[in-house]
Amino acid sequence: MTEPGEVARWADLDTIRAASADAAVEAEVTESFGDVTVSVPAEQWVATLTMLRDALDLSYFDWLSAVDDGETFSIFCHLYAPERRGHVLVRTVVPADGPALATATGVFRGAAWHERETHEMFGIDFPGHPHLVPLLLSDEFVGHPLRKDFVLTARVSKSWPGAKEPGESGDGSPSRRKMQPPGVPDPEWGPHSVGDDHE
Amino acid sequence: MTTTGPYDTQDISDAPDASGDPYAESRPTTEGRVYTVSGGDWDAFAAEAAEMAEGSLVVNMGPQHPSTHGVLRLILQLEGETVTDTRCGIGYLHTGIEKNLEFRTWTQGVTFVTRMDYLSPFFNETAYCLGVERLLGITDEVPERARLIRILMMELNRISSHLVCIATGGMEIGALTVMTIGFRERELVLDLFELITGLRLNHAYIRPGGVANDLPTDGIEKIRDFHTLMSKRVFDYIRLCNENPIFKGRLVDVGYLDLAGCMALGITGPVLRSTGLPWDLRKTEPYLGYDEFEFDVPTWDTCDAYGRFRIRLDEMVESLRIIQQVVDRLEEAGPGPVMVDDPKIAWPAQLSIGNDGQGNSRAHINKIMNESMEALIHHFKLVTEGFSVPAGQVYSAVESPRGELGVVMASDGGTRPYRVHYRDPSFTNLQAVGAMCAGAQVADVIAAVASLDPVMGGVDR
Repeated sequence: MTEPGEVARWADLDTIRAASADAAVEAEVTESFGDVTVSVPAEQWVATLTMLRDALDLSYFDWLSAVDDGETFSIFCHLYAPERRGHVLVRTVVPADGPALATATGVFRGAAWHERETHEMFGIDFPGHPHLVPLLLSDEFVGHPLRKDFVLTARVSKSWPGAKEPGESGDGSPSRRKMQPPGVPDPEWGPHSVGDDHE
Repeated sequence: MTTTGPYDTQDISDAPDASGDPYAESRPTTEGRVYTVSGGDWDAFAAEAAEMAEGSLVVNMGPQHPSTHGVLRLILQLEGETVTDTRCGIGYLHTGIEKNLEFRTWTQGVTFVTRMDYLSPFFNETAYCLGVERLLGITDEVPERARLIRILMMELNRISSHLVCIATGGMEIGALTVMTIGFRERELVLDLFELITGLRLNHAYIRPGGVANDLPTDGIEKIRDFHTLMSKRVFDYIRLCNENPIFKGRLVDVGYLDLAGCMALGITGPVLRSTGLPWDLRKTEPYLGYDEFEFDVPTWDTCDAYGRFRIRLDEMVESLRIIQQVVDRLEEAGPGPVMVDDPKIAWPAQLSIGNDGQGNSRAHINKIMNESMEALIHHFKLVTEGFSVPAGQVYSAVESPRGELGVVMASDGGTRPYRVHYRDPSFTNLQAVGAMCAGAQVADVIAAVASLDPVMGGVDR
């Protein structure tokens, strides 16, 4: 049985740094909340994954996904070392304007669906992917739902009947700020926006 | 009624179709002639299909096919009865849970994630809560009793989930008795869930910091009764199936996937263990103190559907072993808190059984409504706004019945998650269908998919 401490010893930051230097990868190796993260420039993404797989036994592909950071997208890939019992998170950053990252499917075949999901959810292109078409969303779907600027339409609901807040009925104090749950878009948003006359 | 009415003269062969086949309407497309088969004589249709120049046939199995475990669409390319290529069409159950989580408080998130993989809700909840607790830095402060209850619920859940897999998988290959007894036993587990959490399917019982409420007074006794009964009945399955020639005929050497294939595709769970690799996160990366309990990781070395079936059976026996140990320890330890002792995180709910089955205790309601304005404000803020979670990102994973269920969550320091991503084992494992089914018969596709045990709620999220 492996003690948790043993895992931490294996995921030695210096080992990864040394292997990265050998493969000429500019990796920044950090640790937070007990997880080892290897941050690399986007152009060295495939080289990093190949290095981790071949030199450090991180041959088990776990998952790949992204986070919308506003100006940029962070792309994460999680790898396991099945025999030496270690795991690292590989991270890279691509600009939000025309995001693209070379596909990892050449290194790990299992990345195919994860990249397709990331592609449709964030609009990130994966050049070299053999079949980069929508996976979960329908063909007609427009937009990239997990981007922060994509409005969650479930939040665009018809308001509850009646005046719940002072000022809503028009005769209360109009200065009071209207309470809106998080994620509810501006009244001007959408096809039934306030101000449009659909009658 | 006359015998020469207008309906009699309109013979079915007069259907306005160029092919003249009353059952198969056809139209020319750029890909060749496409037939929409509505019924009719299979021999005639098969003979016609055999005459077609390409010699291969694309068959859509699903999304409403009863043997595809929910809304899974399999696109099979066939040459005769042999499958040459298999693709999956998924997304029919996509509900945008990951997006929704970004607009709810950390505690409300549990209500969403429990609905992903609906056959193993406690695993979804635990993986989520372990992540939140690591971000909050309260992993070690979660009470012992809550930790034991979490393990107890997960192992009960593992049994119920494996029962559904074995039951539906058996039904799909024609073993109806396996289906009826499998659902019979699952019902007993769901009754326990209902007793403990109040709900049978989507519980939201495990919360950041602990669990929602303690076991009921007769909880331990009921679990012991179930344990005694299930320990006997699990051998019914072993006697019924293990050496059953029809069962073996349908499962042995079907859905073959070796270790190299599993590694490249990221396959976990019984599928990975059927290649002989004892990879189980409860052993390899212990969480919740699983290493304190005695249990084995069953493996098989045949890489096929039969091995996966045997692994699931053995895992139910191992889960019963763990449940026995947990229940003993719960009884030994006696009563105690089940939620972290931090009023900034734990809901001030002091639950008691009211007229509606469950509710805040009268004493608590009296306090916040009559005695303490601060307590009322605190209650209101915590429930509506939630608690803040320090900025950062963690990955926490648990071993669900289907494999590694992981959550990566990022916080920007607010009261709501910035991003939550679920690494669902069904999603990843489903990628293996193509590799498992190439060169197999159509009937083997069903057995192979059943051996993966995908739950579409988890695949599509």
